[in-house]
Amino acid sequence: MNFDLTPEQMLLKDSIDRLIASRYSSLEKREAYRKEPLGFSEAIWAQFAELGLLGLPFSEEDGGFGGGPVETMVVMEALGRGLSLEPYLTTVVLGGGFLRHAGSAEQKAAYIPEIVVGNLKLALAQTERQARYDLADIATTAEKTDRGYVIDGQKSLVLAGDSADLFVVSARTSGEQRSQYGVTLFLVDANTPGISRRTYSTQDGGRATEIEFSGTIVSTDAILGPVDGGYPFLEHVIGETIAALSAEAVGAMESLHQLTVEYLKTRKQFGVSIGSFQTLQHRAVDMLMALEQARSMEMYAAMMVGSDNADERRSAISAAKVQINRSARFVGQEAVQLHGGIGMTMEYIGAHYFKRLTMIESLFGDTAHHLHQVARVGGLVAAA
Amino acid sequence: MKLLVCVKRVVDFNVKIRVKPDGSGVELANIKMSMNPFDEIAVEEAVRLKEQGKVTEIVAVSIGPQQAGETIRTALAMGADRGILVKTDATVEPLAVAKILAKVVEQEKPDLVIMGKQAIDDDANQTGQMLAALLGWPQGTFAFKVAVGEGSIDVTREVDGGLQTVGLKLPAIVTTDLRLNEPRYASLPNIMKAKKKPLDETSPETLGIDVSPRLKVIKTVEPGGRKAGVKVGSVAELVQKLKVEAGVL
Repeated sequence: MNFDLTPEQMLLKDSIDRLIASRYSSLEKREAYRKEPLGFSEAIWAQFAELGLLGLPFSEEDGGFGGGPVETMVVMEALGRGLSLEPYLTTVVLGGGFLRHAGSAEQKAAYIPEIVVGNLKLALAQTERQARYDLADIATTAEKTDRGYVIDGQKSLVLAGDSADLFVVSARTSGEQRSQYGVTLFLVDANTPGISRRTYSTQDGGRATEIEFSGTIVSTDAILGPVDGGYPFLEHVIGETIAALSAEAVGAMESLHQLTVEYLKTRKQFGVSIGSFQTLQHRAVDMLMALEQARSMEMYAAMMVGSDNADERRSAISAAKVQINRSARFVGQEAVQLHGGIGMTMEYIGAHYFKRLTMIESLFGDTAHHLHQVARVGGLVAAA
Repeated sequence: MKLLVCVKRVVDFNVKIRVKPDGSGVELANIKMSMNPFDEIAVEEAVRLKEQGKVTEIVAVSIGPQQAGETIRTALAMGADRGILVKTDATVEPLAVAKILAKVVEQEKPDLVIMGKQAIDDDANQTGQMLAALLGWPQGTFAFKVAVGEGSIDVTREVDGGLQTVGLKLPAIVTTDLRLNEPRYASLPNIMKAKKKPLDETSPETLGIDVSPRLKVIKTVEPGGRKAGVKVGSVAELVQKLKVEAGVL
């Protein structure tokens, strides 16, 4: 099997790698972007648009560039390596994913070109406090009235929820609270009356928002996909998002491993560089192995995420997330150990990689959750 | 107006190179290669001239192994129109490169050739000048600013003590310095377009050029490590040291 990137993918990688390397060349720059009003650099976002990155996964008919999961992987790895703050995952992969898979022709025509040029940012309002990682556990309701639908409920930990212009909201139109049937997706303008937002910083330097919908009225045009049939889209698009997040994790682990090895070669103790101690060399190698295992599963997820077989896709994504989570924790913690005190100092970029990796570990399902998912279908490779 | 831009595939500028154990050169196996940064500036300038409507066609040329085709693709993704790869696995020295380029110029008949002032691998800084001599064309080296007029070009050059502007009659050779422009990143639409742009292949043999080396590398060594500095106690001491020891004041 050929895992080499095509010449076009190499060019894409080169372009985004260089952009990120120049924009995120120091922790000070990243901190400056984080303090901007939206929590990231709008100039870099505009540059993403200019380079066509915001149109990457959309089809050419919709105004995009027809990239697939591997192209998304290439971009997400680069964003991970630089610890980028821009809401690429939430707008392009997550929000864009819903539009691509569930959007009507009118919705696609209205929103995709705006995303591509960088004017529109999306966020998914899905998680609820009681739901843990169960995607079907939705208590927010959308009731049909003669004016459209009235949405009531609370959504928690909406990633990049403060900078979003448009929310993809999951709400219950029928069925029990944890039933897969009866979930409907809506595209809701962030400025619709009846929406209140409370934003806070997450530990990785990003932002998340608690959103309350109280009597929020949306028209029937806002329905994304079939009424009562939103769940399969949730599962599919979040699967794609996990694959993309895995790539970001691999990029971050790669940088953190590199940073650690560099530190081992530079830091002197007892008159020699600490990298000359064999026990530390072993640990650096263990980190590399964890990184490479994660990379294999990241690529597996990228290859399987387009599969038409939902069961196959589900188990591949969950298995990948299990490995990514384990590797992220191992690489992050070992990096701290090998650095010593400096490894968890806010003034040192290494600590920020560790925080982001820790955050990724719990996003869209932790290790136990995904291990359970894999076990439920009899393992990644079903017993013969 | 037709423009020829020359691009070389070299070790990426971010890579920390290592000398081969036998001292015959630097280790190139599994090393990231990219376009010579000065050539990137040349491509950028070419594309800007095209955007200004002063150039109608940009042809990118590279001499090297099959993978040098990737370097041409990068130039195409930045905005060049077509590529010519002169394929050879041999080590090509500046004179041979200049001869090959002279042959390509003869065939393509461009009005302007832009290239990097030097490549970051051998730092020779010879090819542009040699090409100008072989063709008998005027040359504007170390370009800081380029202004194309009717049948002529003004090249502002970075020289010791300031800037010098020379007026050249076209056709001419321009070699680029670091501050001429800041190269763009290849955008996704242009990467897709580059896929469809033509890339022709030829070889030194087909062009009738002998590339056999005339120089012999005696040895390659790594630069010596940086020595530790000293802390001085006062400004007076620093001035004293600069005067007496460094002799710079």
